[in-house]
Amino acid sequence: MMETLSHLSLGFGVALTLKNIALCFAGCLVGTLIGVLPGVGPIATISILLPITFGLDPTGALIMLAGIYYGAQYGGSTTAILVNIPGEATSVVTTLDGHQMAKQGRAGIALGIAAIGSFFAGCVATLIIAALGAPLTKMALLFGPAEYFSLMVMGLCFAVVLARGSILKAFCMIMLGLLFSTVGTDLETGQERLTFGVASLSDGIDFSVLAMGVFGFAEVLRNLESPEARDVVKGKIGRLLPGWADIKQSAAPVLRGTFVGGILGILPGNGAVLGPFASYTMEKKIAKDPSRFGKGAIEGVAGPESANNAGAQTAFIPLLTLGIPPNAVMALMVGAMTIHGIIPGPQVMTRNPELFWGMVASMWIGNLMLLVINLPLVGMWVKLLQVPYRLMFPAILIFCCIGIYSVNNQPLDVAFTALFGLFGYLLIKLGFEPAPMLLGFVLGKLMEEKLRQALIISRGSFYTFIDYQERPISLALLIVAVLVLAIALLPSISKKREEVFTE
Amino acid sequence: MSLNQIERAQGLRIRSTQDFAGGLFMILLAIGAYVFSWELPAGTLRQLGPGMLPKAFAAICGLLGLMLSLSALRYHGEKLAGWSWKGIFFALGGACLFGLTIRGFEFGPIRAPALGLMVAGPLLIFFSGLAADDRKLPELLIFAVAMSAGCILLFKYALSLPIPLAPWLLGI
Repeated sequence: MMETLSHLSLGFGVALTLKNIALCFAGCLVGTLIGVLPGVGPIATISILLPITFGLDPTGALIMLAGIYYGAQYGGSTTAILVNIPGEATSVVTTLDGHQMAKQGRAGIALGIAAIGSFFAGCVATLIIAALGAPLTKMALLFGPAEYFSLMVMGLCFAVVLARGSILKAFCMIMLGLLFSTVGTDLETGQERLTFGVASLSDGIDFSVLAMGVFGFAEVLRNLESPEARDVVKGKIGRLLPGWADIKQSAAPVLRGTFVGGILGILPGNGAVLGPFASYTMEKKIAKDPSRFGKGAIEGVAGPESANNAGAQTAFIPLLTLGIPPNAVMALMVGAMTIHGIIPGPQVMTRNPELFWGMVASMWIGNLMLLVINLPLVGMWVKLLQVPYRLMFPAILIFCCIGIYSVNNQPLDVAFTALFGLFGYLLIKLGFEPAPMLLGFVLGKLMEEKLRQALIISRGSFYTFIDYQERPISLALLIVAVLVLAIALLPSISKKREEVFTE
Repeated sequence: MSLNQIERAQGLRIRSTQDFAGGLFMILLAIGAYVFSWELPAGTLRQLGPGMLPKAFAAICGLLGLMLSLSALRYHGEKLAGWSWKGIFFALGGACLFGLTIRGFEFGPIRAPALGLMVAGPLLIFFSGLAADDRKLPELLIFAVAMSAGCILLFKYALSLPIPLAPWLLGI
């Protein structure tokens, strides 16, 4: 406990410098600014805004990125409530009751309770990260290559099961991501693999090129296709601060949502996406009058929004302690960290404690900022939502282009990104959801490295992964992976799963 | 006969063009990856070679693609929908224009001058803006100039990224 407190005070010492507060503020602001645009989810927001952190020192850059991430999350909820367009899977649930509330003239209260619930959840999640960070890092040091490999396999299995749409297609995307990750020079022998003699591919496919192509450009193409149907709430936003009755009604859902979301967020493999769904279902089950849900029940906003934010934040735990990103957004964070020369994993905490704890502390500050920025600025977000798409998408494109160009100062990268944009559009047209591909891509390199190490240690025997005497953790992780897949493939469950994701 | 039996009696045919095409797409990618990693040695389990994982992943991709195509014969699903050629041409074309002109480009017979952000920016916005069905040219023109000016201030001056502005005019 004392240790945690001293870590946190170190963190606040770093995060509370004027420069870092300013960066956190700027990150939250631009994150919300971009995240609020309809059809632009957190993944696209972070990939668009990645370049603005390039000029900063690693600590500042990470603090700003974390700010962008929360801003994007919160911006997504704002769009969900005001326009009925969910920026990503996790804010789907918010549209159900949030938009209904907005239609009844209670948009302000819905936004307010979402912000307050998120703030509370964020505070709790920050404490969880601070408390679990140190012990989990110690545990991570016990992990050998075999355990790491099995953990990643388990994470990918979770990601397959929790992805939207068909399991088979999600599986395809993960494998495609893994396949893409093998492009480039082989680390051990130096041989070029699948580079087609293109010099800029010898370092592998650039992460930001892939992310911006598939999530920036392809999204633009997808949105251009369908004529706009934006249902921006006309009328008044109304009072922002919820009244006493509203608060009393949402206090328990916020607590439950925080708990559920926080726990699910720690799971490797995008558990965070389940949080809002679980919270919504739970509130509906507990409620005295379930029929109010879907018609503007405040619990249906408070619970899922808290779960969303708690999960979004505890998802940092596997990344910061084990170096394994649990979902596509965190995969982006890995890419961002690597650009700044930090390899995520247990060594970050021991080698750069001020960076680690500074980031944890800045999460709390970021949540506070969101509350401070968003409530007064809601009017501005509404104005922004009225910007027509015909002007929005060229702006998105120029941000992406400048961004990609500045990663390596390589004009050719822009053309590569356009190519990946085309590829991403093709995937969308074929009904593939590209987010798991990004996760597979980021984990692929790490998996190959660990697999090789594990096989060298075991002298070429796969038995090392399921050796219950020597490596019980690895065996347990693989068993969980198989169980998750098996359960998801059972017909009765997969039917239920579809209901959850179409609701 | 129940509906199910009628359905079955019709035999195997493509019931979801989207899934079927998706499966074929995966198979093609897998074959491509397999062919291009053909010469890489796979090594042994004790010492994995550079070719082991690309080949393994490609094989799994191909297998999954096959399963997807086969399942499209059995189960109903989405149909393939049309493409937005206009979007592809203008939006992606705009991005390529930006890449070609920002710092100049020379590739065999193709040459592009180094125009810098001052020209490449408005060019990208204007050209890609043509993709919208409800475009208004005067508005787009003003927006292209204003947005580029904003980007120059933000990226060149506020964030001091090394982007050429207008080498032909200002020398920076």
